[in-house]
Amino acid sequence: MKGRERILATLDGQPADALPFMPITMMFAADHVGVKYLEYATDYRVQVDAQLRVAEDYDFDYVSVISDPACEAADCGASVKFFPDQPPALDEENALLADKGKLSTLKAPDPSSGGRMHNRLKALSLFKRRAGGDKSIEGWVEGPCAEAADLRGINALMTDFYDDPGFVSGLFEFVLELELAFGKAQIAAGAELIGIGDAAASLVGPKFYEELVWPYETRLVDGLRASGARTRLHICGNTRSILAGMGRLGCDIVDLDSLAPVSQGRREMGPRQVLLGNIDPVRALRNGTPESVYDAVAECHREACNRFIVGAGCEVPRDTPAANLRAMARYAREHGTAELQPKADSSRGLP
Amino acid sequence: MSQFEEMQQAIIDGKAPVVKELTEQALRDGVKPAEFFPKAIVPAMNEVGRRMRDCEFFIPEVLIAARAARAATDILRPLLVGDEASRSAGTVVCCTVKGDLHDIGKNIVAMMLESAGFRIVDLGVDASPEKIVQAVQEHKANLVAMSALLTTTMVNMKAGIAALASAGLRDHVKIMVGGAPVTENWARSIGADGYGKDAPTAVDLARSLVAN
Ligand code: B1M
Repeated sequence: MKGRERILATLDGQPADALPFMPITMMFAADHVGVKYLEYATDYRVQVDAQLRVAEDYDFDYVSVISDPACEAADCGASVKFFPDQPPALDEENALLADKGKLSTLKAPDPSSGGRMHNRLKALSLFKRRAGGDKSIEGWVEGPCAEAADLRGINALMTDFYDDPGFVSGLFEFVLELELAFGKAQIAAGAELIGIGDAAASLVGPKFYEELVWPYETRLVDGLRASGARTRLHICGNTRSILAGMGRLGCDIVDLDSLAPVSQGRREMGPRQVLLGNIDPVRALRNGTPESVYDAVAECHREACNRFIVGAGCEVPRDTPAANLRAMARYAREHGTAELQPKADSSRGLP
Repeated sequence: MSQFEEMQQAIIDGKAPVVKELTEQALRDGVKPAEFFPKAIVPAMNEVGRRMRDCEFFIPEVLIAARAARAATDILRPLLVGDEASRSAGTVVCCTVKGDLHDIGKNIVAMMLESAGFRIVDLGVDASPEKIVQAVQEHKANLVAMSALLTTTMVNMKAGIAALASAGLRDHVKIMVGGAPVTENWARSIGADGYGKDAPTAVDLARSLVAN
């Protein structure tokens, strides 16, 4: 099977010759081909080249446009700091919405207007030309809570939940519209899977997650699915208190970071949810040995049972030994899957 | 409910305006500024730390509680005089190290330390070793608290310690480190004086470091 077929079969509950292997690589991919991260994050040709090479050399089943959280915010006009060999980052001290009043005049950028979002669209078109058919092509958007944090400043947003929930909802509405348009443009450019990164959602606790964040995540997932894409939810950090809600979103793939046990994810999201993860990127993957990495993946697989994709809890750290990443690939390749009951399309809420 | 109990509850509930009012009222009633720390602020923030550990509180609750505690400390700190001021635990230079922009954990630690009576000099994020040295000299700090959330920036804690040593300040300050990827072993290996697993531990550690 080709990587793309393997992923699609797994998502559809069909047998596959091996477990899909979908680790997130960004700085690792740039280092792999010897380019500075600034080039990787800002020049789609460099990113596409690096992704295709790292995917080929380590036998990944997919390629991705994920690079840093500042892509959409930059096009909205936020102040972003660029570093020669680090991911671009938001300048939180000078956050775009430090003054909440600015929200009413903020305009969602056109994804094709020549900025960082456009660079991502170009990467997808190039992937389509160069990888189409072999590897799955993944687009990437920020989730409502993460993008709101990027625009408002994460420290301020956290207290806004108490001080001004109306503002938070208004900001989430803005972000939803922005990310839906961006996601749809990515689908049109060639993405068949859209990753949604909503790291800040792991910080807010179950009450605000259910009341304020989840409704917008749902609308985002629904909108992307209606446009024909598969969806992957990635919330970094400790999500133990919000796992059930994450499962109810109906995403094709839910990533688990190393702080959220796979067994608990399985219990709370039911047997049909495809889970991806979750070995500790630093302690297990980077600092381990090929044997310990292989065993750690086996343990995740055991806890996840079927419907499982091999990957780390989060980004593969840049200085991970090659042999350790290969050990993950080896585990994936040695474990095929049998036919499973298909995931009913109306499965939301009924895992 | 006593005045102090009421104030504790208002801090835990994150009600900054109420805390401010209660502090002013208590001062008018003749309560000494130094009394607020052991009787209201410290126990309240201990409870906040417990709730955070037990996953009853998440970041929004912790941040509004810390802000409420600050409503009291902002009023009280200028009123601490002479003996009280010097007894006020010590001066801590807090920062997230060079190259690292994660500051939520550092902010919580700083606010908890402040509620425990420490004077805080917050250098923010991406703090270079030179900036740390300069702040220690300028504010005559007796404690440096460095936070890092990235494995790639943890090494900059080591650079901070080295810079303090070359400036001849290493024997004048205690150094504590923390942040998700940091461990006790790492702290020891770079020559720090202590490692704080979470914010409440950091406060206990800071107290014991300045006491020794
Ligand atoms: C001195 O004494 C002490 C004592 C105790 C101390 C202490 C000091 N400091 C902390 N403590 C302790 O007390 C606190 C309270 O109990 C605790 O503090 P913590 O800071 O641990 O905990 C906080 C209260 C809550 N936790 C957090 O605030 C971190 C949350 C997560 C989701 C996170 C966030 C929010 C962000 N991030 Co980033 N981020 C992640 C995090 C994943 C996760 N959930 O862990 C992490 C830390 N990030 C990571 C990465 C890789 C990155 N991030 C990046 C960016 C960001 C945002 C800007 C979007 C945002 C930060 C905004 C901000 N103002 O802080 C990038 C780097 C930017 C930079 N140069 O710093 C970027 C490189 C991503 C990219 N490719 O762009 C990962 C680090 C991996 C590693 N080990 O190296 C990460 C673990 C996510 C993951 N699962 O991979 C204790 O550790």
